[in-house]
Amino acid sequence: MFDEKRAVVVQRAELLCRASTRRDFLKVLGVGGTIIMLPSLFTACGDSTDNNVTNPVSTTYTLDLSNDTGILNYAYALEQLEAAYYTAALASAGFAALSANEQEVLADLQKHEVIHREFFKTVLGSSAIPTINFNATTVGALTATRSVLLSTSQLLEDTGVSAYNGAGKYLTSAANLLVAGKIVSVEARHAAAIRDIRDGTTGRLFAGDDVVNAAGLDVKAEPSTVGGAVNSLNVVVGTIAIGTQPDSGKKTADQPAPTPT
Amino acid sequence: METPSLLDTIEPELAERIAARTEDIRNGSPARPGVVAALGLASVPIALAALSTDLYGQSGLPASIKGVLDFALALEIFENEFYKAVLGTSAVAAQNAAFAPVRALAATVPGAVATLQQIQKHETAHVATLMATGATNVFNLDGTTFDFTGNRSATGGGPFAKATTDLAFLLEVAQGAEDTGVRAYKGQAANLMSSSAILEAALRIHSVEARHASRIRRMRRAAAGAPSSVRYSGTVRGGGAAAAGATDAGPNPTAVTAAFNLIYGAGANSATAPSEANTTHAGVDIMSLAGAQFGIDAAQEAFDEPLDRADVVAIVQPFFIPTIS
Repeated sequence: MFDEKRAVVVQRAELLCRASTRRDFLKVLGVGGTIIMLPSLFTACGDSTDNNVTNPVSTTYTLDLSNDTGILNYAYALEQLEAAYYTAALASAGFAALSANEQEVLADLQKHEVIHREFFKTVLGSSAIPTINFNATTVGALTATRSVLLSTSQLLEDTGVSAYNGAGKYLTSAANLLVAGKIVSVEARHAAAIRDIRDGTTGRLFAGDDVVNAAGLDVKAEPSTVGGAVNSLNVVVGTIAIGTQPDSGKKTADQPAPTPT
Repeated sequence: METPSLLDTIEPELAERIAARTEDIRNGSPARPGVVAALGLASVPIALAALSTDLYGQSGLPASIKGVLDFALALEIFENEFYKAVLGTSAVAAQNAAFAPVRALAATVPGAVATLQQIQKHETAHVATLMATGATNVFNLDGTTFDFTGNRSATGGGPFAKATTDLAFLLEVAQGAEDTGVRAYKGQAANLMSSSAILEAALRIHSVEARHASRIRRMRRAAAGAPSSVRYSGTVRGGGAAAAGATDAGPNPTAVTAAFNLIYGAGANSATAPSEANTTHAGVDIMSLAGAQFGIDAAQEAFDEPLDRADVVAIVQPFFIPTIS
């Protein structure tokens, strides 16, 4: 999933405007390759805006999960995804088709996820990974109807819960673990709310048997599993890659977030 | 994606010992019941944790971790017995009888009984999982050791008695119990860091409790009895009793309000256990995040807060007839 089939290196912003670079770019995207942007490009671009759902420049966002900063960046990447998704969702046809009560949920979630994103950005400071670019077309397709909007929201929230539950053990600072704990329960509340909207009348989907196992334990996934799931959504312009894996001695078996049915 | 065997990811020597011991137990070698239960559940982290205890003996579980697990078990037994009484499945006939009126009311709301059953199923599983991990029922708790009216008396009569006859009030209490659980686990996570398998199990229980609390908030709001501060997103707005969104504090409102103040307010040490109204985390003031200016409500909702053990004891002691600590 993180194979680098082919790479194009973009050193300067103006190269993006050249026909030859554009052709390479498209060819590489066609084979699922990787576009590498050197730091000089970011200088040229200056500070990009948040909620990047339109910028077409593909990037590999590489995480070093061998330390707390890397784990927090992993959380920051997930919060960027959620924040960008819900920000796009609020202007979508799928959102317009929701009831007022359901719209309240999505509007709350958008605010909370943007807060989480900006919180991590501030905490990480100069150690933060770049702002991730998202594909407006693929994100748009995942918000086009009430059905796909809610099922995608469920997947994102359950994935968030599984990611935090799987990553907490890699944090070495109690303060960082507490921060993750303060956020994961909010993600779990979100997941239950979205699931409950989709439930109908069974009264059980909020914490269904598809996410809580016979031992009463919620979903949990290792970063490599979460990274693969996020990349397979095809909403990141580029790839989220793990450069350094976390402590293998702490790795446990996955119970990843299920695909909503 | 390939899922590696857990045994591939731990020390080879330990893996061999675990594999051999697992085989022994499957072949009839005596082991503590918790270990057998964990193996039967096919829950790998828990089986590992239980086997570790089995391998190294009870002394192998550090006292600090054992203490957290024992405390968590007490809370889970409390929750489990509460929902069993509500559902009429307690071993104590008087508890079942007490909640019969509210049980009949829940049966008229689509999905309500199923939700309570789903939650109770999880609390039972949490009890089993914690015991399999090495927790001990140090307070000798069972269905007879609780007074769900909050009077520490076998005959009840406390400020929460209305929960047996009023569905909206019952759900207020259930929400308080679940949110207390979320805060309790969050406060103890740091004490489990020396055992990554047990920490992970605790985190996975913690998020289940949060799912429960979210659903109960949604049920309360949908029943039109709760104010809009009880969010359909299932999140907690504000601090202290206001965060409960309780429009009905029963016949003894002073006591009920005091209880909700403990559940959603700051603990004895407000540095380690801030109110749910707190908006400063890791030194970052959420209200001053330039890219996320949504006002105080969203800032409070976006983060949950921990409680210290003594704070949780103060909340739940009225419902436990024996003294806990």
